[in-house]
Amino acid sequence: MIALVDCNSFYASCEQVFRPDLWGTPVVVLSNNDGCVIAANKEAKDLSEIPMFEPVFKIKKQLTAHNVTFFSSNYTLYGEMSQRVMNVLETFSPKVEIYSIDEAFVDFEGIKYTSLESYGHCIKETVYRHTGLPVGVGIAPTKVLAKLANKISKKYAHINNNVFCIDTEEKRIKAIKWAKIKDVWGIGSKHTKRLQNIGVFTAYEFTQLPEEWVRKNMTVVGLRIWHELKGVSCIEFKTLPKPKKGIGTAKSFGKKLEDLGMIMEACSYYISEVTELLRAQKSCATYLQVFLHTNYFSDRDKQYSKSITITLAMPTCDTFVLIYEARKALELIYKPGYRYKKVGVCLSGIIPQEYVQGNLFHTPPKWNKNELLKTFDAINRKYGKSTVFSALVGTRIKEWELIKEDRSPRYTTQWKELLKIKAKKSLQKTEGF
Amino acid sequence: MKTLSSGKIGKIKSRHSPEVSRQTGFPSAATHYAEPSIDLQKELVFNQDATFFVRIEGDELEEFDIKDSDVLIIDRSLSAVPNRLALVVQDGEFKVLRIPKKNVDSEFILWGVITYIIHYTQ
Repeated sequence: MIALVDCNSFYASCEQVFRPDLWGTPVVVLSNNDGCVIAANKEAKDLSEIPMFEPVFKIKKQLTAHNVTFFSSNYTLYGEMSQRVMNVLETFSPKVEIYSIDEAFVDFEGIKYTSLESYGHCIKETVYRHTGLPVGVGIAPTKVLAKLANKISKKYAHINNNVFCIDTEEKRIKAIKWAKIKDVWGIGSKHTKRLQNIGVFTAYEFTQLPEEWVRKNMTVVGLRIWHELKGVSCIEFKTLPKPKKGIGTAKSFGKKLEDLGMIMEACSYYISEVTELLRAQKSCATYLQVFLHTNYFSDRDKQYSKSITITLAMPTCDTFVLIYEARKALELIYKPGYRYKKVGVCLSGIIPQEYVQGNLFHTPPKWNKNELLKTFDAINRKYGKSTVFSALVGTRIKEWELIKEDRSPRYTTQWKELLKIKAKKSLQKTEGF
Repeated sequence: MKTLSSGKIGKIKSRHSPEVSRQTGFPSAATHYAEPSIDLQKELVFNQDATFFVRIEGDELEEFDIKDSDVLIIDRSLSAVPNRLALVVQDGEFKVLRIPKKNVDSEFILWGVITYIIHYTQ
């Protein structure tokens, strides 16, 4: 059996753990540049007038009118809380597949438990007790069904208390008859439309299609889902993540920038961030994409956006080489006279360092012998991000970096930002009162 | 942590790490006795995933030996044992109390048990 454990409105819940004054009240979290709402807890979702993914400046009034508390995203905190949840899950089974920041598959193979359901409740309660985060648990024989069980656990939380098992044939049939085809894990909008056109609206109806039809029209991927819904496990359990195909970053500036020099510094800073990640996973990038754009939402500004992708002479993970290349690329796409909002970089064609091939003019460098980069990373790891950096990054970061006004403190990772609690004694009723 | 005992001398397994002597002259007599130095995170935090640090502001908790700007180590994984200090939530506010012996109308939600109080002597 496989469990899918999923945190309920994860970002908002992380904020609420440290803010009991907000328990039971609507909370939303804004995207990285405070642009739009990316997460909302149940109380906020119940206020149906608040549209998700809308620019915040358009809905700020509604948010305040409904006493919704909003936070800028605090990914340092969310990342740390996620790690804690995953560590707790690993005490329940050696096989945990971390699927995303807030969900994981837990394989129960070889685990002894008296009852599946009580084991599920035990997981839920332990995660809550240790981290303060509420989770839902769906248990089933396959991943696709576990996903579905998890959905049911949330939808009918008032009945099943956030834990639902598909452990009998009867329950499986009932669950797949309940599930709409568009809600099945792995079935995208294109296939949903196609299936609806031939009269398939539920997961059950999908499983009634002939195997040959599914293979022909939905490839082997669709066929796996078809089998999984029937209770035959065929999507493998991955305990190691796939190597990344691309690493990128793009953040809005704190104010609009016209000056190429300042934009170049921001771009160089992003390159430093992504190359550090690249080296941490011992890879090199083959392509570098740089893009630049103005503010789409502004009616006053002239609009311009441009992207450029260059093939590097040889795959590399050298910060200094990539900064040099990125600046060259930026010079090509930059046009004066616009007020830019964002610059971004993306590295792709990512391959392990030892696979880098030389060319006619160069032999591939031995990255693990590059003392400069090794020392560079070691210093920054020990003394903090950007202790040493390329001079091209400059020192005007405060002038262009976006300050997240409503970010909560980094309670779990910064000594200076610890949760502050007003000294207050709890007055207990004495007996016989 | 349990220690493995072999006869008379008990050795704590987790604190052993072989180290190469850096003395250039005489070999060190201490070589085989080297142990890593004390790490407070290891000693004071029993369950890292369930432990949080918080800072107290104000003097109202002096009767519990908690003073202004002290840091509390809080372990959420521990259960509410009577008489232990705990951080609780009452009326949407954090409060500190000594867990009562009898469950007198539990009007509070346990947030975590306070395991250590870190106080800076000035």
